[in-house]
Amino acid sequence: MGFGDLKSASGLKVLNDFLSDRSYIEGYVPSQADVAVFEAISAPPPADLYHAVRWYNHIRSYQSEKSSLPGVKKPLGQYGPLGVADTTSGSAPTTAKDEDDDDIDLFGSDEEEDAEATRLKEERLAAYAAKKSKKPAVIAKSSILLDVKPWDDETDMAKLEECVRSIQMDGLVWGQSKLVPVGYGIKKLQINCVVEDDKVSGLLLFVDQVSVR
Amino acid sequence: MALRELSSLEKYLGQKKANKYSTQGDKKVPVLQNNNGPPLVGLVTIACHLAKEAKRPELLGDTAESRAVVQQWLEYRVTKLDSCTKEDIKTVLKDLNLYLQDKVYLAGNQFTLADVFMYYGIHPVIVDLAIQDREQYVNVTRWFDHIQRYPGVRHHLPPVAVLRNRIYTSRHH
Repeated sequence: MGFGDLKSASGLKVLNDFLSDRSYIEGYVPSQADVAVFEAISAPPPADLYHAVRWYNHIRSYQSEKSSLPGVKKPLGQYGPLGVADTTSGSAPTTAKDEDDDDIDLFGSDEEEDAEATRLKEERLAAYAAKKSKKPAVIAKSSILLDVKPWDDETDMAKLEECVRSIQMDGLVWGQSKLVPVGYGIKKLQINCVVEDDKVSGLLLFVDQVSVR
Repeated sequence: MALRELSSLEKYLGQKKANKYSTQGDKKVPVLQNNNGPPLVGLVTIACHLAKEAKRPELLGDTAESRAVVQQWLEYRVTKLDSCTKEDIKTVLKDLNLYLQDKVYLAGNQFTLADVFMYYGIHPVIVDLAIQDREQYVNVTRWFDHIQRYPGVRHHLPPVAVLRNRIYTSRHH
C-alpha cells in the first residue's frame, strides 16, 4: 500500500488515480487518514490532477478541526491502493526483508541459522555418542527360517532334523521346526534358528554347515 | 415519488412525527398541511421548511454563497431534472460531471439539501446507466456513491453498485 513518494509527480499521480472514485482517503467521511496524507503533501497538487486538487481543497477546509477528525493516524504506507510499492522510510526495509525471508525459507537456510544449526548438531552428536558408550549395545539378532528339502521321499525327516539340530555354533540357537508337505509324499523341514548377527553370518551358516551333510 | 423523498428527509432529520402530505395537480406537487398556517406547496419549499424546523439550517448552506448554490441546485432539480428527456439526461450528466470535478459536495464543503435532492432525483438515471457511462462520468459516480453512503440519506432507494470496473481502461490517464 502507500502512494509512493508523495513529494514527486508519480506519487501524486497515484493519489489522483486513487481519489478519482473516492471522496476521502478512507471511508466516506473525513478522518485522520486524510490529515496524514494532507500533511505529507507539501504544496497543492498541480491543476491537471484534478481529483487530487479537489480532495486537497476540500480537506484544507477542515484545517481548523483536523485534530477532531475520527480515526487514528497511521504511517503513510498504510493508505492508498494495494499493489503500489511502499517507499516510505519506515516500512521499506521491513517489506524488503519479508520477501527475502520468504525466499530463503523456501530454498535453504539462512546464514545466521547455519552457525546455530552446526552448534546444535555438534551438541546432539556428543550427547548421542555418550549415550551409546554408556548403554550396553543391543545385540542384533536375526531369525532364519531354513527350508531343508530332501532329494526323495525316502529320506528320514526325523533323522534329518536331528542332524540339523546338531549343528552348533556360538550364537546359534535352534528354534521351532515343522514338517511341511510339498507334494508327492515329500515333506520339507522348516526349521527356525536365531543367530546373533555379530557372531554368526547367515550365509556362512548355510554354506559351511549344510554342505557338511 | 416526491412524497417518499420528503418522508425520507424527515427520517434523516430525525423527526419523530410524520407530517401529513397530499398532492396537488396532475404533476403531483406535494402539499404540506401545516397545522398553524397556510399549506405549503412545492418540494423545495417543503424541504427547506423541514430543515429549518428541525433546526438544521446548515443543510441549506452555511455561507450566503453556499446558500445560493443550494437553492440553485434545488431549483435545477425541480425544473430540469424532473422533466427531462433521454437526450437531456446526457447534457445533465455532463454538466454535473464538470461541476463536480473539483467539489466533493454540490454546495461548498459540506453536505446540504442540494446533495440530498439531487441524489434522489438522479438515482433512477444512475440505475439505468451502463457501466461504461458510469466510468465516463467519473465525478458523478464518485459523488453519487459518496452521498448514498452518507448515514441516514438512502432510505427508500436501493443502493447502486458503483464499483470501478478495471477491465475497461480509464480515459483519464
